[in-house]
Amino acid sequence: MTAVTAAEAPARTSRRARNRARELAGKTGWTVLGWVVGIAFFLPVLWMVITAFKPESAAETWPPKFTFSPTLAQFRVVFDGMGPYLEHSTIATIGSTILVLVLAVPAAYALAIRPVKHWRDGLFFFISTKMLPIVAAIGPLYVIALKAHLLDTIWVLIILYAAMNLPLAIWMIRSFMLEVPTEMLEAARLDGAGRIREIIEVIMPVVIPGVVSTALICVIFAWNELFLAINLTVTNAATMPMFLISSVPQEGLYIAHLSAAATVASVPVIIVGWIAQRSLVRGLSMGAIK
Amino acid sequence: MTIIDDLVKPPATGIRPRGVSRREGWQRRLPLLPALIYTIVVTQIPFVVTLWYSFQNYFWNQPGGAHWTGVANYKEVFTDPSFRNAIVKSVTMTAIAVIVAMLLGVALAVMLDKKFFGRGLVRTLLITPFLVMPAAAALVWAGPMLDPNFGLVNYLLEPFGVHHVAWLSTHAYGSVVLVMIWQWTPFMTLIVLAGLQGQASDVLEAAKVDGAGAWATFRELTLPHLRPYIELGILLGSIYLVNAFDQVRLMTNGGPGTETTTLPFFLYQKVNYAFDVGGAAAAGVVTVVLTIIVASFALRMFARVFQFEEAR
Amino acid sequence: MAGVNYMAASRVYAKGAPPAVDALDLDIKDGEFMVLVGPSGSGKTTALRMLAGLEPLDGGRIEIAGRDVSDVQPKDRDIAMVFQNYALYPSKTVAENMGFALKMQHVPKDERDRRVREAARILNLDESMLSRKPKQLSGGQRQRVAMGRAIVREPKVFLMDEPLSNLDAKLRVQTRSQIAELQRRLGITTVYVTHDQVEAMTMGHRVAVLSDGKLQQCASPRELYDNPVNQFVAGFIGSPAMNLQTAPLTDGGATLAGTVIPLAAPVRAAAARDQLSEIVLGIRPEHLHLAAEGRYPDTAGQDGAGLADLTGEVLLVEELGADALLHVRLAGGDPVVARAEGRKPPGPGTRVTFRVDPADVFAFHPVTGARLAG
Repeated sequence: MTAVTAAEAPARTSRRARNRARELAGKTGWTVLGWVVGIAFFLPVLWMVITAFKPESAAETWPPKFTFSPTLAQFRVVFDGMGPYLEHSTIATIGSTILVLVLAVPAAYALAIRPVKHWRDGLFFFISTKMLPIVAAIGPLYVIALKAHLLDTIWVLIILYAAMNLPLAIWMIRSFMLEVPTEMLEAARLDGAGRIREIIEVIMPVVIPGVVSTALICVIFAWNELFLAINLTVTNAATMPMFLISSVPQEGLYIAHLSAAATVASVPVIIVGWIAQRSLVRGLSMGAIK
Repeated sequence: MTIIDDLVKPPATGIRPRGVSRREGWQRRLPLLPALIYTIVVTQIPFVVTLWYSFQNYFWNQPGGAHWTGVANYKEVFTDPSFRNAIVKSVTMTAIAVIVAMLLGVALAVMLDKKFFGRGLVRTLLITPFLVMPAAAALVWAGPMLDPNFGLVNYLLEPFGVHHVAWLSTHAYGSVVLVMIWQWTPFMTLIVLAGLQGQASDVLEAAKVDGAGAWATFRELTLPHLRPYIELGILLGSIYLVNAFDQVRLMTNGGPGTETTTLPFFLYQKVNYAFDVGGAAAAGVVTVVLTIIVASFALRMFARVFQFEEAR
Repeated sequence: MAGVNYMAASRVYAKGAPPAVDALDLDIKDGEFMVLVGPSGSGKTTALRMLAGLEPLDGGRIEIAGRDVSDVQPKDRDIAMVFQNYALYPSKTVAENMGFALKMQHVPKDERDRRVREAARILNLDESMLSRKPKQLSGGQRQRVAMGRAIVREPKVFLMDEPLSNLDAKLRVQTRSQIAELQRRLGITTVYVTHDQVEAMTMGHRVAVLSDGKLQQCASPRELYDNPVNQFVAGFIGSPAMNLQTAPLTDGGATLAGTVIPLAAPVRAAAARDQLSEIVLGIRPEHLHLAAEGRYPDTAGQDGAGLADLTGEVLLVEELGADALLHVRLAGGDPVVARAEGRKPPGPGTRVTFRVDPADVFAFHPVTGARLAG
């Protein structure tokens, strides 16, 4: 019964070989398609980075140059000028994200674990603020900021970015909290854990990855934000997006310089997003279907 | 059933279940308050102020400050063809971008769901457009990519008979929408991919045994399964894209003419170039009202997205 | 005629790894209810999936009704499968679930509805359930819908992958007999996978016992029980399990708990041939007769002459109502389980004596596990 006849042995290998060949052919097809699509989507970014290394003379040519002698000259200029912008962006991004987390975690808790009576209404209220376009209030916002002496300060950005990201953060962290197994909470309650202990020892460990991915998304949106920055700041709180705009002069060649500025401005968030890819994917899709 | 009902009828002593005690109720509300108060202050106060200013005549390049003008601003808004144009542009651009991004997103998600060589790397490449600063994306597309004289796109399309097209002049609308799609497809892809990966593998095997080919399985099983994910993607994408500003400001500045003037850009112009705070406020209020109407309509359609499960 | 033939069918997952299914040879007759049973990892589910076409064959071939289906797509094999977790289509109603395969075959709607309703009737599925979605159904109802989905197709072969394992105990027993009855009525060849040997014994016409990807024995339940071909089958079939003890060989037999159990001449000859110094003895719990009860098998002489005596101390008594299971430590330290009368079993701590008919004792090779001829 288990004796494999001499005729069967090669039959076994050939059938197995045939199966594997078929699998491989299919895989190859998808591989080609996948890479073509991936490169197509990535091409503009790639081109941006390549152009950043060009001297201006090689940047605005026809046909576009793929070989040239790379130079760091553009980057040098960018690094020279971006100091304050970088500082402002960093403070605004990190500051607003911390503020968001401080507000969102307890709020999510109140909407998920020991829920408030009208939790549905609460959640809906937060989400509704996102649906109202911020652009509608920009004029009055300017005036308010002016009168409150917050215009062109880093604070106005921190405050507004936090408000901008808060609804999404609450929604996402709440859905992560709902993942905490009920049994764990009940066991903790039986052990006499009060609210604070419950949060720190039971909930946070489970929810930390979700909080991290929420923080990442807030960082992405805050760092990249232009509209509020351009309207409410001038020099004292100008952020990286505005630095980028400033590298488009009225006249003269600027494409390589612009590419360098764009690269430097985008790179932090791109790297962060790449590293935390899984977390990001989980956050984006999780935050939702619950 | 009725026997059980009789057994568990509460004793007729007037004792009613009390639910959560009052103290417990306040303890539960407490963690929510900071976020709630913060949001109300930061979002509602500006809105109230906007409402106030919408009834004022206030140009800040003019001396004298604000004075009451009743519904004059609103009259102007409703009769202003450029406001109506901005609404049309916003709605159409958002709709096209969201729909195309979602279609591409579904296709790419299906692709990323299959095992192939370097899949992880391809996924990394595919999410990059979403991570790139929109301002940077807009400027890079406007310059190195779409420029008529040195743009990469023209170079790549040359073999197909396309010669030095000035995309931002002749196809401004399409160019802006293209960049929006490019930036938001990864978002749609990731959401749909999560949905795809949540499908039970034995259900798909059952379909195989039942005789469903790849397309039939997709149409009959996968798409219904993906529906809440697709709805969520469309909802979130619309919310963000209808407010999109960077692409218009940096690629076309609303032009040529008003071809790409969306609502955000229209309001920006009103404030920064017309210095018309009152007018911008009125336009803003009208925008908010329109958004509420559309959002309620959309939410009713996408009711499933808000099927909150019961909280603990 | 829809018999199923596995011919040296193999499945290997990774090069160089031991096969999940190792050259399986199995002949399933038309209309037969064949149970594949074995512990986890025995390859039974893989073998079923190979028949379904959900796993490719790496060697040998499989035939359905005489036709080689090794390279044929699942949908073209004319089979229907009931999955362990039912695998119902969540977005479709019960009626749509059951009619799905027919829809894929482009069967006209009227015909589809008729067949769906017919299957629902056979399975006692209420008309009102037809328009519900799977998530609104109980476990038992879902299981019946899964069966209905298979029945509607009127296939050549039914495949069932542990369809009862997610039901509660009582429902399981009920459904077990319903499935067996259904198969009898419809007469469709059925291949049924389970890890539960009670299911195997009560439902199958024949049972194939698998272990580590290899077929151990394929026979009727009675045959498996009375004539296990090796130690694995002997220990796997029968509940409570057969008592298996290593026992040193002596003149005329083997020693267990200080007593010599006589072994038949062919057994001793087989042991001598392999130069064995010890063998594995197998005794079923019901063959350990409590001397106190005085009930002996017919083969014994008057007063139980010719029987071997084993003494020991009762450790634990499991009262099952009609019977009692005694966990006993025999003199010599070996533990055994014996079946006794349920009314007044001896309590823990009692010294007891068992009488065994040597003809009821199985002897196995200590290394290969093969049954020594007897």
